[in-house]
Amino acid sequence: MRSLLHPNHWPLWIVIMLVAAALLLPFVIPWTYDQIDWDAVRAPAFTGSHLLGTDEIGRDRLARLAAGTRITIMVAIAAALVSLVVGIAWGATAGWVGGKIDEAMMRFVDALYALPFMFIVILLMVIFGRSILLVFVGIGLVEWLTMARVVRGQVMALKQRPFILAAEAAGTKPLTIVIKHILPNIAGVALAYLMLTVPQVVMVESFLSFLGLGVQEPLTSLGILVKEGADDMDVTPLGLLLPGGALVLILVCLTIEGERLRDKYS
Amino acid sequence: MLALIIRRLLTAIPTLFGIILASFFLMRAAPGGPFDGERPLPPDVQEALRASYGLDRPLWEQAWIYVSRLLRGDFGPSLVYRDFTVTELVAQGLPISLTLGGLAIALALLIGITAGLFAAVSAGKAADKSIMMLATIATALPTFVTGPALALFFGLWLGLLPVSGRGDGIAWLVMPVVALALPVSGAIAKLTRAGLATVLKQDHIRTARARGLSEKKILFKHGLRPALVPVASYLGPAAAGLLTGAVVVETVFGLPGLGRYFVQGALNRDYPLVLGVVTLYAGLIILFNLFADLIYGWLDPRMREE
Repeated sequence: MRSLLHPNHWPLWIVIMLVAAALLLPFVIPWTYDQIDWDAVRAPAFTGSHLLGTDEIGRDRLARLAAGTRITIMVAIAAALVSLVVGIAWGATAGWVGGKIDEAMMRFVDALYALPFMFIVILLMVIFGRSILLVFVGIGLVEWLTMARVVRGQVMALKQRPFILAAEAAGTKPLTIVIKHILPNIAGVALAYLMLTVPQVVMVESFLSFLGLGVQEPLTSLGILVKEGADDMDVTPLGLLLPGGALVLILVCLTIEGERLRDKYS
Repeated sequence: MLALIIRRLLTAIPTLFGIILASFFLMRAAPGGPFDGERPLPPDVQEALRASYGLDRPLWEQAWIYVSRLLRGDFGPSLVYRDFTVTELVAQGLPISLTLGGLAIALALLIGITAGLFAAVSAGKAADKSIMMLATIATALPTFVTGPALALFFGLWLGLLPVSGRGDGIAWLVMPVVALALPVSGAIAKLTRAGLATVLKQDHIRTARARGLSEKKILFKHGLRPALVPVASYLGPAAAGLLTGAVVVETVFGLPGLGRYFVQGALNRDYPLVLGVVTLYAGLIILFNLFADLIYGWLDPRMREE
């Protein structure tokens, strides 16, 4: 835990502070993210109680920014966890069982890799309505492929190690071996790839929301805010620059942190 | 090489059909239909419309009719843009998407390989670290933020480039292409840098050095080509990424490319339009992967299949 305080982890801390701000701001701002202030439509920054002004229908920009960040991060964490669970289950099974089953399972992963996934996700979103649950299940189900590959490789390497062979010789049940001895040993690598999955998920979610296929009003996400800002940028450029900047900052920081973690474990 | 091309094209046919049929039934599982606009039509008119487009027949029969028409090169009528056939719409959109994608990948290769080369040559120095940091930032830039941001700065504020639509000349292409190319160029820079780092440690480079070749010659004649193999294998996924990016860029810059038809078509339940675009996308990606395989073999003769 102490190593987290090392200055090298600055990207992670930027994200943590952004998220903390997004969580705490609702207690400080007198406006909610969907509340309309009829007296201040398109107000510039520092108007009365609107620190960053209001949008084209008079909603407090800072409150919406905080709400958007919360939803984006929430969807990202949920979807990344879905991908983690599916990826570990698939990869560990393939790596542990081996042989024909392993080959078939990995062929399946290869085949899915080759598909233009974004289009399938877009089709799914259009077809099965646009509930927020579907957004992260859908994204999670797309992003598990790399996790499965990495986990499988790790499991196959571990399987030959003496302590696993010893556990097998002692008659420990396979499921117990996987849960008690294998999973703790792949936690580091899995964490690194989880860290890299989060920005990808953020990207997919905001992409869908930008197209109007992801998170739906009255809920908001950074992707929706970018879309609203882009539509109104000739009048109030802040509407685009603030959520766009926040989104890019989150994506860049998470990517840098994730790549550092990955390099450490590989 | 010809055998490889033929084999690839043969395996592409079942893949393509799988994708078409999957999208066909997926589309049809969706609630709603192409004729429930904002003002609902009377039921008997809807019935007549459905019958005239053959939508009242059993699903498998419709799928069969669709596929057999497709084999004759007919993508069918558009259900929403009723004055146009899908073929006409797609013929309009394809050149725009292809131009955007082609220019973007060319620009990304140019920037990425150059940056990767510079970084590898100055390995470990400040230049290397800053180029790699920039590359990481570039990979994390979503087109739906960079697109509008570019339009804001260069279009609205500086007035240098058109914000939307196609004007005369090539000025309208600049911002969409740059927005598309940025993330890909970051990834290519990283791959080039990593590839060169491995290759420059190999024996044949040491031999070349021992023979007294100039560093420039070593780098360009012996180092770069094998170092680009990972870049070539990234081209397939990059093409898929560019096509998805194009969906956003076409929406942002108001360009009537394939991506816009895809999203609009899906939202309007314009079944033939969506299927037509999906078929084209899948075909393009398959073609591009084949192309990447050929480059692969050219870069590294050991990869050539017998």
